[in-house]
Amino acid sequence: MRSLKRFLAFAMIMISVNAALAQDRPRVIVVNQALQYFAERLLDGTADVAFPVPENVDPSFWRPSITDISTIQSADLILLNGAGFATWIDRVSLPRSRVVNTTAAIEDQFIVTESITHSHGSGDEHSHEGLASYTWLDPTLAIAQAEAIAAAVVARDLASAEDVEPRLAELRSELMAMDQMAQIALGELDGIEMIATHPRYQYLARRYSLPVTSLEWEAGAMPTAEELADLENLIAETGAKLMIWEATPPEAALAATQSLGLQNVVFAPLARNSGQSAFVTSMDASIKSLADAVETVQGD
Amino acid sequence: MIRALAFASLVVAAPVGAAAHQLVVFASVDCEAVTIEAKFSNGRVTQKGDVRVLDGENNLLKTLQLESDGTALVPLDSVDHSGGLLIEVDTGHHDNYWIVTPEDIARKCGS
Repeated sequence: MRSLKRFLAFAMIMISVNAALAQDRPRVIVVNQALQYFAERLLDGTADVAFPVPENVDPSFWRPSITDISTIQSADLILLNGAGFATWIDRVSLPRSRVVNTTAAIEDQFIVTESITHSHGSGDEHSHEGLASYTWLDPTLAIAQAEAIAAAVVARDLASAEDVEPRLAELRSELMAMDQMAQIALGELDGIEMIATHPRYQYLARRYSLPVTSLEWEAGAMPTAEELADLENLIAETGAKLMIWEATPPEAALAATQSLGLQNVVFAPLARNSGQSAFVTSMDASIKSLADAVETVQGD
Repeated sequence: MIRALAFASLVVAAPVGAAAHQLVVFASVDCEAVTIEAKFSNGRVTQKGDVRVLDGENNLLKTLQLESDGTALVPLDSVDHSGGLLIEVDTGHHDNYWIVTPEDIARKCGS
């Protein structure tokens, strides 16, 4: 009985110590899954990396609560993607000294897009200029973002340069290998036109010269009859043979696009909170799936 | 060639020549009041618009109209701001918001 009491007392102490340590650990906030992965690789457990956007929400258009922003404001480091990613950051006060824009050094490589066309009442139709935001889908830009994170965590003493440098070298090496693999796998497309369900892949397309035309379909959803009719017109216009989905849709959706002569590929753009931190393995798998689909189309 | 054209369609090298405007909302706190400013991203003043002030639980605390200079003032003693404030501005065609946290208010009040 006495030993049980001792054990319980020891367990309570350990739980308290762990809780205290967890509270004392620095906190890093990220705005997308790619940055979460880079930060976790570079910090390797020396800080808690939090991606506060719920799993079923597009982080580009997340609307945080006041409590969310209070939590974010108190973080030790806030890693932004830049390139117009995450609209909420322009609607709150963030502590400037703890905010790092991971694409600040690569702004000259941004892709400018014409995003929304609409009109007001009898007013003229006009567009809102925007930037393509999914920078990390070009591995060379992903490396630049990882480098920015490495510099930020060292500058803020969240990890030592001695620890971070080898982690960055390893990550850089993996991203470079991914880039080389993609150049080989996607280098022989012979002009195979592709349609993406959403405009996510601009940087990937630029890096590997992929002819991608984009729709505005909801991620992973069954397209409407009208959307399928628009797709049919787009196929006639572009001669597309391949459909890139950002999330796995219902089987019926895959069957519908297949019946229009498209080969389907799911290529996760790694922005959303998937509940797991994955980048290199997911990108490798997506690139291989895309290359396999191209091969299938070429073989038809 | 087709590939080059397709890629070119993705990239607009020069700024788009169309009238670009989105509603920009900003709120600042000075310990006595929240000052709300709304304007379009092309610099044009937002002369009309509904302002809604909500608390941290999304309960509507107050509604008011933008002044002709695109501003609105919410005295802090007129609302329960203990859980922070969510400021929404809606012009009918555009809407946007700004979040004021309890910490934003406390910081301005020197506590």
